[in-house]
Amino acid sequence: MERYFFLVLFVIFALWYLSYSATRLDRLHHRVETSWANLDGLLQRRAAVALEIAKSDIADPASSLLLTAAAHQARDAQMKTRSQAESGLSGALGLLLNDGHLVEGVIERDLLRELSELTDKIRIAIAMHVDAVTRTQMVRAKPVFKIFRLAGRAPLPVTYEFEADVL
Amino acid sequence: MTLKKLRIGLVCPYGWDTPGGVQNHVRDLAEYLIAKGHYVSVLAPVIDENAIPDYVTSAGKPISIPYNGAVARVLFGPIAFSRVRHWITNGKFDLLHLHEPAIPSISLLACWAAEGPLVGTFHAAAKRQKAIFAIGPILEPVIEKLSARIAVSEAARETLTEHLQTDAVVVPNGIYADRYRDGEVRAQWSGNTLGFIGRFEEPRKGLSVLLEALPIIARFAPDVRVIVAGPGDSKDFEDQIDPQLHHRFEFLGRISEKDKADFLSSVALYIAPNTGGESFGIILAEALAGGAAVVASDIPAFVSLLGNGEYGALFESENPQELAKVVIDLLREKDKRLSLARRGKEYAQRFDWDVVAENIFSIYEMALVGSNGISLSSENRAWNRFLGREGD
Repeated sequence: MERYFFLVLFVIFALWYLSYSATRLDRLHHRVETSWANLDGLLQRRAAVALEIAKSDIADPASSLLLTAAAHQARDAQMKTRSQAESGLSGALGLLLNDGHLVEGVIERDLLRELSELTDKIRIAIAMHVDAVTRTQMVRAKPVFKIFRLAGRAPLPVTYEFEADVL
Repeated sequence: MTLKKLRIGLVCPYGWDTPGGVQNHVRDLAEYLIAKGHYVSVLAPVIDENAIPDYVTSAGKPISIPYNGAVARVLFGPIAFSRVRHWITNGKFDLLHLHEPAIPSISLLACWAAEGPLVGTFHAAAKRQKAIFAIGPILEPVIEKLSARIAVSEAARETLTEHLQTDAVVVPNGIYADRYRDGEVRAQWSGNTLGFIGRFEEPRKGLSVLLEALPIIARFAPDVRVIVAGPGDSKDFEDQIDPQLHHRFEFLGRISEKDKADFLSSVALYIAPNTGGESFGIILAEALAGGAAVVASDIPAFVSLLGNGEYGALFESENPQELAKVVIDLLREKDKRLSLARRGKEYAQRFDWDVVAENIFSIYEMALVGSNGISLSSENRAWNRFLGREGD
C-alpha cells in the first residue's frame, strides 16, 4: 500500500514538473517573439531614417545610391538573410557618418540625432533578443525538454548575428 | 520620453527606512518617474509604517541576514509572498521593475509571482559565492522571466554572467549632478585636506585604513588634515585614534546637500578606502560630479566606476602603505590632481538622473512591446483556484 502511495506522489510530482517546464519554455518562446518584434520595429525605423538621410543633403549622390540600396535590401530581406542585410546597412551608414564632415541644417541634424538614438536602442534590443534566444536554446537542449518534446512544433530560434561593432 | 503614462511597480528588496545604495536608487528613480507624470508604486520591507511616503507599500518588517559581507535587511516567507501577490493584483501595473531579484527577498517573490514585462536590476558585484552556486538551478527559471536585465556596473554584469549565465545592459545608478556642479570652495576645508563621507563607524567603510596611512602621509605633508562627514558617534571613534593624530581630524556629523557640494569642491582629495560590500559606489559618482579628485580602493565596484583608474586614482584595498603612496603623490603634484578632477567631473555627467532615467525608460519601452500588462503567473493562478481564492 505504502509503495503505491509514494509511486502516486512521484507521478504527481513528475506531472507537475513537466507542466511547469512546459510553461517555462512557452514563456521563453514568448520572450523570443516579443524581443524580436521590438528589434524588428526598431530596424524598420532605422531603414526609414536611412532612406531619409539618402534623400537629404547629407549624402553625396554616390553614398545616396549605396544607402538607398542597402536600406531597401534590409527592408525586404527574409528572416534568414536579415542580419546580413542589416549589417550591410550599418556599414553604409558607417561609411557616410565616419567621414566626419560637418552637417548643416536643422532637419539634417535632427535626422542624425534620431539615427544615433535609434542605434543606442537597437544595441539594447539586440542584447535582449540574443539573451532570449541563447536562453531558449540552452533550455531546449536539456534532456527533459528533448525526451518529452516539450517544445512541440515551435521552431528552434536562430541567433541574430548582428555585428555590434559596426553599429 | 513618450507621452504615454505608465503604471510602474518598483520592488525594493531591502528595508526602506534603513540607509543603503539600493534604497536610495529606488527612491530617486520613483520620484523621478512620478515627476514625469507616471504612476509609481514601490513595494518594500518597512520598519516604521508611519514614516513612509504615499507611493510606498509596506510588505512587512524586514529581518536581518548576513549577506555579501554586510547585514542585509530583507524579507521573505509565506506572509510576505501573499502581500506581494496582493500588491501585484491590485496595482494593475503595466510593468514591474525588480531590484536585486537574485537574492532571497520580495523581489525574487515578485519575479516568481508575476507574469508580463519584468525588468530586473542587478546591483551586487561579488566574487563567486557557494550559496548562489547551490541555488542556481532553482533561481534560473525565475530569473529567466525577466524581459530585460540591467546591471549597475561592469562588475555587476560580470557577476551576473558568472553566476547565472545571462547578460545584462549596463545602466549606472543615478545622481543629481547639478546639485554638486557649483559648490563653493570654503577656506576651512581647503588646503592639504582629505575628505571622507559616510558611516565611518562601519569597518567596511575602511576609515581605519586611512587612519593607518595617516602617519606616513603626515611625514611628507605635515599640514595634512582629514575631514569626516556622516552620521555616527565621533567620540567613540576618536578614542581609537592615536592622540598624536587627534588634531588632524575634524568630524562634521551629518551635512546638508549644499554643504556636501561645497565640501567636495573644497577638499584636495576625496578618499574612499572601503574594504568591500559596495554595490556601486554612488558617493564616488557624487564626489566626481562635485569636482573632487578621488582616491579609492580597488574593490570591483570602484574599479569599474572609475574606469580602471582613468577618472580617479586606485590603491590596493586594505593596504595603508599603498594608500599613503598614492595620496602623497597626488598632494605633491597639483597639476596631476587637477586634471584628474577635471576628467572625473566631465565623466560624472553620465550618472545624472536625466541621462540614467532616460536609459532605463527606453528599456521599459522595449520590455513593453506586445504586452498586456502585469498579471499573476499561471502557476499562481492555478494555486489560488485550488485554494479557493480569487486570483485576478
